[in-house]
Amino acid sequence: MTTERNLLHAQSILGDLTTDWSQPAPDRYDAFVQPDNLVAVVTTLHQDRWGYLAAITGLDKGPEVGEFEVLYHFCADAAVLTLRVIIDRADPVMPSICGVMLYASPYERETGEMLGITFAGTPDDAWLFLPDDWQSEVFPLRKDAVLNGNGGGDA
Amino acid sequence: MTNGNVPQKAPGLWQKVLDRVKTWSRTQSPWLIHFNSGSCNGCDIEILATLTPRYDAERFGVQLHGSPRHADILICTGPVTRQARERLLRTYEQMPNPKFVVAVGACAITGGVFAGCYNVIGHIDEVIPVDVYVPGCPPRPEAIIDALVILLQKLAAGPKIEEAAS
Amino acid sequence: MTQPANRKRFTVPIGPQHPALKEPGHFAFDVDGEIVQSASVRLGYAHRGIEKATESRTWVQNLYLLERICGICSHIHATAYCLGVEKLAQVEVPPRAQAIRSLVAELERIHSHLLWLGVAAHESGFDTLFMYSWRDRETVMNILEVMTGNRVHYSANVLGGVKYDVDDQQAATIREGLDFLEERTLHYLEVVSTDSLFLQRTRNIGVMDREAAQLSGVIGPTGRASNVQRDVRLDSPYAAYADHPITPVYETTGDLLARFVVRLREQLTSIDYIRMLLDHLPNSPLTTRMPRRVKAGEAISRVEAPRGELFYYIKSNGGDMPDRIHVRTPTLCNIASVAQLVIGQHLADVPMILVGIDPCFSCNDRTSVICQDGQRDMWDWARLRQYGIDHYGTHYTKDLG
Ligand code: SF4
Repeated sequence: MTTERNLLHAQSILGDLTTDWSQPAPDRYDAFVQPDNLVAVVTTLHQDRWGYLAAITGLDKGPEVGEFEVLYHFCADAAVLTLRVIIDRADPVMPSICGVMLYASPYERETGEMLGITFAGTPDDAWLFLPDDWQSEVFPLRKDAVLNGNGGGDA
Repeated sequence: MTNGNVPQKAPGLWQKVLDRVKTWSRTQSPWLIHFNSGSCNGCDIEILATLTPRYDAERFGVQLHGSPRHADILICTGPVTRQARERLLRTYEQMPNPKFVVAVGACAITGGVFAGCYNVIGHIDEVIPVDVYVPGCPPRPEAIIDALVILLQKLAAGPKIEEAAS
Repeated sequence: MTQPANRKRFTVPIGPQHPALKEPGHFAFDVDGEIVQSASVRLGYAHRGIEKATESRTWVQNLYLLERICGICSHIHATAYCLGVEKLAQVEVPPRAQAIRSLVAELERIHSHLLWLGVAAHESGFDTLFMYSWRDRETVMNILEVMTGNRVHYSANVLGGVKYDVDDQQAATIREGLDFLEERTLHYLEVVSTDSLFLQRTRNIGVMDREAAQLSGVIGPTGRASNVQRDVRLDSPYAAYADHPITPVYETTGDLLARFVVRLREQLTSIDYIRMLLDHLPNSPLTTRMPRRVKAGEAISRVEAPRGELFYYIKSNGGDMPDRIHVRTPTLCNIASVAQLVIGQHLADVPMILVGIDPCFSCNDRTSVICQDGQRDMWDWARLRQYGIDHYGTHYTKDLG
């Protein structure tokens, strides 16, 4: 089965760059990655031509947990490899992977403005979706964002 | 000779004739401008479908136009997003008087499914006055044509009311 | 996040709205003479905050909300969502429902591609083709209306199945419509690949070879026009595509012409596919029971929308509302490629290149052109389009003279 082979191959090339693995579904692998290793992992995948970056999802675990989790979904045919990177909610800084794959730029912009995560070194961090008059301290997808029903930009 | 004397003898007459001509020409060829302030495109494609051959709204003399400065009717779709509000206002303000607004779709009327989303500040008539509402998600092209016809009647009636008042 | 100094560039110019371009967006181009040096993009005029809203709506309510992300590809959004939620809830959807999902999805693809053909033709100044393709598009709209009662948001999906069945009489109507569409599509294919005026605007313009296409991450028909062999229907089959694989369409030249040809040929495969589905509709109920609460977990659901891969990430923590839904639309992938694609191109070709990726009904009714000396000149879309048409108008006359 090529899906299985793809996933095993990804696991073998990433080896010690990851901290942990899990398999939530037959066609999916999750790899836990330290923020410092992210660029190296992405570079390895890119050089090996393993699939493509399909999306970056930012998750807010909530103020109690105090963590953000950023998921990088790579797809190769039916196989989906998700890199899970956990960062501190109080100091949300991620390395940018645009140096390796430029097309990650809009994804990083989106995740950045929605959750208030800084992608260090991303080429363009202007707002992609939020309105010009949006209050820069409000990040809509944070669980504790105060949006006041409609909007919240001028709250 | 007599022609030249007419305006002096009855100063209101020219104006009345002119108004008639203006109203007539307006109802014969009202120009539209379309504005999307955050819709899902569903209403927009139906408006476009209204103008293409099957429904052919152009037979009423209606023409879609690019510039608000030339338009008589503003067709709005979608809820009003924070970013689009200012533009909607400016587009409206640029239109010459008399101007009319048609709100197309559930979103434009009430906010529809998007009511309460953080980047949606409301529906069209919270920002600009609306003359005709077209409900539906999206409304059928027939409904949009109907709205235009109602509006044309309104256009024809409008200045006449003024005339009666003066 | 700090507010970058160049935010001022995004001041919205007052100006015409363009009839054929619906979804607002904003591009800024740097030009030297007539050649584009760099470009940047700003979306968000239609940003409503749907992802956040999903967190305070139930699983069922979300279906109707997500369907309304886009009026053109609404069925595929609902399908992606349903497939994901069903995966989470471990519900097996009956085969007939899956087949009908694919059937509607292919009808939607035809409607979307015809719509795009019209808009793209309009951008090049070929309004006759615009009107004809929209007239023919009404055939698909009719079919959809016959099947579901709606022209735009067909709402064919429910969690756990579909709402509408196809009976013999409807099948006959669909087949009849398809015959007409097939004939017209073949005609359009001939028009776009032989009309010399039109070819001038498409052949060898906005060329992206396979390598470049992969590097810039383009997907969907835009990628397939550059021979990027990626199609979720084939790579990771869902709904009926597992039982009945679809024939993919690839082109190798990677120019605008190839993007026209790919989409038109895809229409033909869609037509064949629908006919095949109608012949092989499995017999089964249309829905299964769905629990009101969905098991905790996360699911990823990928489908092939008319514009390319649509990606849903759905996370549940066991309640009756989702914890997080993330939607990555194909336009977001492709829009980044435009910024690279236009560099070095003639300003006159920009409208066509933008339209070529089929940005969800062209996310670009605002354009500003920035001249090399730093002086900024706001152009609206209509002016840019006219510029393109005039440019080719004069050049063509010169060629003749
Ligand atoms: S009313 Fe419906 S079709 Fe129209 S913009 Fe709103 S959601 Fe879309």
